[in-house]
Amino acid sequence: MTQVAYTVKLGKLDSITEAPTHYCAGCEHGILTRLIGAAIDDLGIREKTVMIDSVGCSVLAFNYFNCDHIVAAHGRAPAVAAGLKRVHPELMIFSVQGDGDAASIGLLELIYAAKRSTPITIFLVNNAIYGMTGGQMAPTTLEGQVTTTTPFGRDVHMTGTELDASKLLSGIDGAAYVKRVSLAIQEISSHRGSVYTIKNLLDAKKAVENAFKVQALGGFAFVELLSTCSINWKMSVLEAKRFVNEKVVKKFPLGLYRDTYGVEKQ
Amino acid sequence: MAAVQPRANVAILEERCKACELCVVTCPQGNLKLSTRLNHAGFHPAEFSYRGTKGECTACGVCYWVCPDFAISEIKVKT
Amino acid sequence: MGKNRVYLKGNEAIAYGALEAGLNAYFAYPITPSSEIPETLAKEFGNKKYPEYKFFLQAASELEAINMVIGAASGGTRAMTATSSPGFSLKQEGLSYAACMELPLLIVDICRAGPGLGNLGPEQSDYFQGTKGGGHGNYRLIVLAPATVQEMALLPRVGFDLAFKYRNPTLILGDAFTGQLKEDVEFPEFTPQHYDVSAWATTGAKGRSPHILNSLELDFQKHFKHLGKIYEKYQQAQEKEVRFEEYHTEDAETVIIAFGIASRIAKGAVNKLRSKGMKIGLFRPITLWPFPAPQLKALASQGKRFLVVELNMGQMLEDVKLAVGDGVTVDFFGKWGGVVPTEAEIEGKVRRLEVIAI
Repeated sequence: MTQVAYTVKLGKLDSITEAPTHYCAGCEHGILTRLIGAAIDDLGIREKTVMIDSVGCSVLAFNYFNCDHIVAAHGRAPAVAAGLKRVHPELMIFSVQGDGDAASIGLLELIYAAKRSTPITIFLVNNAIYGMTGGQMAPTTLEGQVTTTTPFGRDVHMTGTELDASKLLSGIDGAAYVKRVSLAIQEISSHRGSVYTIKNLLDAKKAVENAFKVQALGGFAFVELLSTCSINWKMSVLEAKRFVNEKVVKKFPLGLYRDTYGVEKQ
Repeated sequence: MAAVQPRANVAILEERCKACELCVVTCPQGNLKLSTRLNHAGFHPAEFSYRGTKGECTACGVCYWVCPDFAISEIKVKT
Repeated sequence: MGKNRVYLKGNEAIAYGALEAGLNAYFAYPITPSSEIPETLAKEFGNKKYPEYKFFLQAASELEAINMVIGAASGGTRAMTATSSPGFSLKQEGLSYAACMELPLLIVDICRAGPGLGNLGPEQSDYFQGTKGGGHGNYRLIVLAPATVQEMALLPRVGFDLAFKYRNPTLILGDAFTGQLKEDVEFPEFTPQHYDVSAWATTGAKGRSPHILNSLELDFQKHFKHLGKIYEKYQQAQEKEVRFEEYHTEDAETVIIAFGIASRIAKGAVNKLRSKGMKIGLFRPITLWPFPAPQLKALASQGKRFLVVELNMGQMLEDVKLAVGDGVTVDFFGKWGGVVPTEAEIEGKVRRLEVIAI
């Protein structure tokens, strides 16, 4: 009998460590970690990449990415990234931030980093809630959404309407790449019945790669990734994915908001 | 007649699986399902069978990309 | 006049002092009375006389500035920010993080009257905040207090050196008076001590394992150990880095203890009192942390009396009392709100104390 040989088609990524993650079951942070790891490996930039960890569910990301890390204070990641990039422009610097970190306490740092065309890459994981602290309202929480600080549903008269970070940055001159994608798998009907596709993930993967390419070109890159928080939304994993793809995308439409270098046309 | 060797294999690190079922629902060929075993965290980890409910594994890689825990650790194809 | 002498404001002296000390990057938000520091550094950006000076940015807020300094310092560079009291409050979070991450950085606080918005007058308002730590947690800043414009020119060298030696933020604590005062300054030749940052700086994990600059440690035992190492550093600094100046203290019966602008005025009072035959001296701490406690204890054991003079309600006073212990006469003369004491007022206070003492 002939010996069968196998080659590894998809396997261990250099940029990802062996540590098991602490994320909840089905959480898109885990998926994003793999997408970023794959992009860093494919572009061959691991040895000059520095991650700025932010405060939120991803605060322990320094255990998962095999590169240098600086753990920033809440909201300050873009400023820390900018400070390091200005003295070491050869480094590739990125942050992963939640909706509270980037769109609430850190909004000034985010906007000014974009305004100054700082060549860094920011990933905003938008799950319309404060996950790590137990489910309070986020700037991106939907009108009427129940959270622990909006137990009767978000009242936009008191709290204002949802903050659209991609739309906000699309109006900032210095932002070179602003894209919103969804990390939630989508359910579609087909001749086989209801199936789930990962088209969203593949779009997100491309956006992640572009975000690093834009930094290499000298521009500020921002990708907003719609995600779930099944635990704090009090839904099952698949119900949460449906909520994103049916309700959340209506308030936060997916798409390319700015592409100064035209990376998506390539 | 010799048994047909599987064209592809999906390796699963059972201790990492949190039974989110994303791989189960996205696999186009139905090669994945939650097992009856329990891992140390109390989850029923996903398990792979080359012949799935809808067909054979084609090493499409969907499960690899969708797994948030890197439990789907490696996909091999016959050379 | 020596060829190297220039006539500068205190704030300008700090800026040039930092440049001469090998400043790499400066980030700050303007605030009176320290704005001449960023203005001078903006003007000198690109001056080939300072090849190490690579980056200047006016940040959008005090918070943004200190975090940019953290980023630059993480890369192993000499990074600095300057501010005044209300801005210093805003930076406390960043300093707490930097101390736990063991980052070398230089911060300058040109104090003004507080609390709140206060006014633009001189006050030694931030002694507590600087030496006791205004940010959360167990940490210390190394604190240097200049009293002359010449000292403001030279202390940035000491500041960067100590920051890198101990991998800790260092503070130069000035005040609105000395910040605006103009005096002659010289910049002697100087080669900064080189410190190897390759063991910790985040410059890309090429050919080495990743460096993680982090203050989060969820394992309590590990955090206890990590902070213990930092505590050891502080013990070392307390033994080795105390700096102070003694003026006519040997035979003094009463010693005035003052730092910064208060010490300048007190020195004048000491001279006046000496000319009238009174045995008065001045002890001037230059490092407010580590505090020259052993030196003060030694003076106290010689039976001397002390008068602490500060532009506040008695902040260093507490450290003096702690240093000298029980049974020692420690009096206080303070002015605050932007008001500066005169030599005559200090003289008068000393005389009244001498009368009481007899």
